[in-house]
Amino acid sequence: MLREIAVGGLFFPALLLLFILSLALHTILDGVAARYGWYRHLWYPALFRVSVFVCIFSVLGFLLLHGGWV
Amino acid sequence: MTVAIVAVVRGFGTHAGGVMTALVTRMRALDWRAQWHEAFAGAGQAWLFVFKGVLAIGLSAWLAMRFDLAKPYEVMVTCAIVLHPNSGMVVAKSFYRVLGTMVGCLAGVLLVAVFVQERTLLLLGMALWVGLCAGGASLFRNFKSYGFVLAGYTAAIVMLPALQQPQLLFQSAVMRFSEVMLGILVATFVCEAIAPQRLGPALRASIRSQFTGFVDFVRGSLAGMLERDALQQAHLRFVSKVVEVENLRSSVVVEDAGVRAISPRVQRLNQRFMAASTSYQSLHHLMNRLQDTDHAEARTALMALFNVQAEALAQVDAEADVLAQARALEQAQADVEAPLRACMTARRAALTEREARLDFDTGAELMLRFAAELKAYAEAYEALVKRGAQQRPMARSERVFARGNDWLEAASIVVRVAVMILITGWFWIATAWPGGAFAMLLSSVFCGLLASKPKPRAAVRAMFKMSVIGVLAGFVCLFGVLAHMSGFVLLLAGLLPFLIVGFYPFSNPKLEPMARIGLLTFFLMMQLDQVMVYDVPAFTNRALGLLLGALVSGVAFQLFANPGDNRFLHQRLLDKLRAEVTRACRAPLAGARERVESASRDLFMQLIGYGTAQDEFLGWGLSVHETGRAIVDLRRDMTTAPAPLYQRLVAVVDAIGDLYATPGRASHVFARRRVASARRAAAGHSQVLQHLHLLRLALLDRESVLAQYMASADKEEQHAA
Repeated sequence: MLREIAVGGLFFPALLLLFILSLALHTILDGVAARYGWYRHLWYPALFRVSVFVCIFSVLGFLLLHGGWV
Repeated sequence: MTVAIVAVVRGFGTHAGGVMTALVTRMRALDWRAQWHEAFAGAGQAWLFVFKGVLAIGLSAWLAMRFDLAKPYEVMVTCAIVLHPNSGMVVAKSFYRVLGTMVGCLAGVLLVAVFVQERTLLLLGMALWVGLCAGGASLFRNFKSYGFVLAGYTAAIVMLPALQQPQLLFQSAVMRFSEVMLGILVATFVCEAIAPQRLGPALRASIRSQFTGFVDFVRGSLAGMLERDALQQAHLRFVSKVVEVENLRSSVVVEDAGVRAISPRVQRLNQRFMAASTSYQSLHHLMNRLQDTDHAEARTALMALFNVQAEALAQVDAEADVLAQARALEQAQADVEAPLRACMTARRAALTEREARLDFDTGAELMLRFAAELKAYAEAYEALVKRGAQQRPMARSERVFARGNDWLEAASIVVRVAVMILITGWFWIATAWPGGAFAMLLSSVFCGLLASKPKPRAAVRAMFKMSVIGVLAGFVCLFGVLAHMSGFVLLLAGLLPFLIVGFYPFSNPKLEPMARIGLLTFFLMMQLDQVMVYDVPAFTNRALGLLLGALVSGVAFQLFANPGDNRFLHQRLLDKLRAEVTRACRAPLAGARERVESASRDLFMQLIGYGTAQDEFLGWGLSVHETGRAIVDLRRDMTTAPAPLYQRLVAVVDAIGDLYATPGRASHVFARRRVASARRAAAGHSQVLQHLHLLRLALLDRESVLAQYMASADKEEQHAA
């Protein structure tokens, strides 16, 4: 996978697309968790959600940059 | 808890001597601490927000300078615009801002690309774009309006540096988008991750007070008659509650996924509340109209029904927990139907005259309908509050809350803003003044911001004052404080006092918009960057440009308000309110009831927001609600009517639609005649007859707003019918 994706002569970092993708994944996970009330077991849901997002993004980013997709 | 302590202390009796004194002292200390907490709870929230604000500004400034963005101050400006004590509002605003910025950047790039050689055409295009965005901002009442505001002035921001050097256009657009995105990300992160202040509890409290308020009102008024004034006041209360819940729901829905999951249930609850309150008010209107002696029999019979309902309500304990009340209410309403029907048949048999029977039937049907709707409302409340309740799939029409929009006002805003931008642009081109670009920018910013407010004229003066204060504060900070500082830490230290003063009022909803404008102009004037330039003439040019921009947008909104000032607007809103009935008559039947309930309430709230001539609006509001509902029910029931009756009913619906579209003596007489002829033909159909009876009573009500259109020869009509 490339580090930069060219669209019509413009270069977009692939991480940007991964960011949007992880936002979407996070929203889905968030919806599921809220529906089944998992957040009730947490002390600080807000920080947990941010951390989950960071985890998702990091995982996807590492897979892109150092993973086996190359 | 203090009560418990007192009881325990008393129980211990005399031999607790010294222990008692110690306990009492401790109690007093606890009270003092509780008082302390209460007094400073509000201030604590404000200081927490100040901390969050300073953190967001510091983080965004650091990141912007680290990433070598072209204009770090734009990141701080975006932070200042987006930050809000309620984290749900931040997320909601941010989403639409991102969309608006994207569209604005695209529009800016396109406009310059197309008109790069033609400066007049470019100016025209820009004016038109900003005008259209301002018009769009005035149409929407939620956060969608921010998207339009952003789109408008982002295009201006992207275009203006590129006018001298078009090859920098694309970089300008990308930089602008990056700056806004960074500001939004930082603000959202800080607001969401650090002690987020949720609006969810406010929504729950609002729903709870809606329920208790309505149930208490019904309980109190079932005993007797309600004067017209009391009815109107109650109507006003209920309408504002409905709109408040809907507004809260739409801002809370982006807050967290938990609220998103229950949002459809809140909408359904609101719909059912509207239905129940309309039925109840129609019932009381009917009772008021039956006040004179001709209808005494029917009235006493209906009072018996009221008593049955009152007994059922008495079983609901007013002191219990609200959820328990809802459950009890649902049960009581389920049980009350049989006794109501029994009482109905008993009383009906006792009545002899045809007229009295008709009155009684109408009232009884209304009563049954109200009982069913109250049950549905209690059921919806229970479903909402109970955790893990089964999600019944809901019809789309159950969740609609239609809004009333005013296209004419939006169009006038488009024209005004476009003309003002054109004038500013012409001034800039003609004078070649360096501050001209800034003036154009600021005029588009302020025009957009003003257009999204519900009452722009009132906001203009305050906005101008705050921008002056922002400019002065910027001057003091830049040349007095920051000129002596170097390095990032000292930068933040120098900004700190101004930020504290700027962010503290955000927690007060009245002061918040003004503080925001102040902070916005503060950051815009200082133009913080990695390499600072301290140039007093340039600052003065920019300051004059900013004030000119603010002045221009103020003129656009204050001087050129709608022709004929607010009276024209009031009349237009009244016309739109009445048009809801016409729409109920003519639009397709599916979802018509929900539309008429919600749109008429939304318009009603807008009217009340203007403040003057309340009685007339209240009267029309009540009339529109009642008649709209009756028309929708009539249309629903007339599908099964035989052909000649159907023709007459269609004629009735048309006549009522015409009456509300153009109220006048002729249309009133016409409507009455049609209703009378339909009644003659509808002898056997009880449902249709009841709706017609309601309509007739509404038309003949001497206390309603339609009374002014009644001809004096109404007595013979009454007897002939």
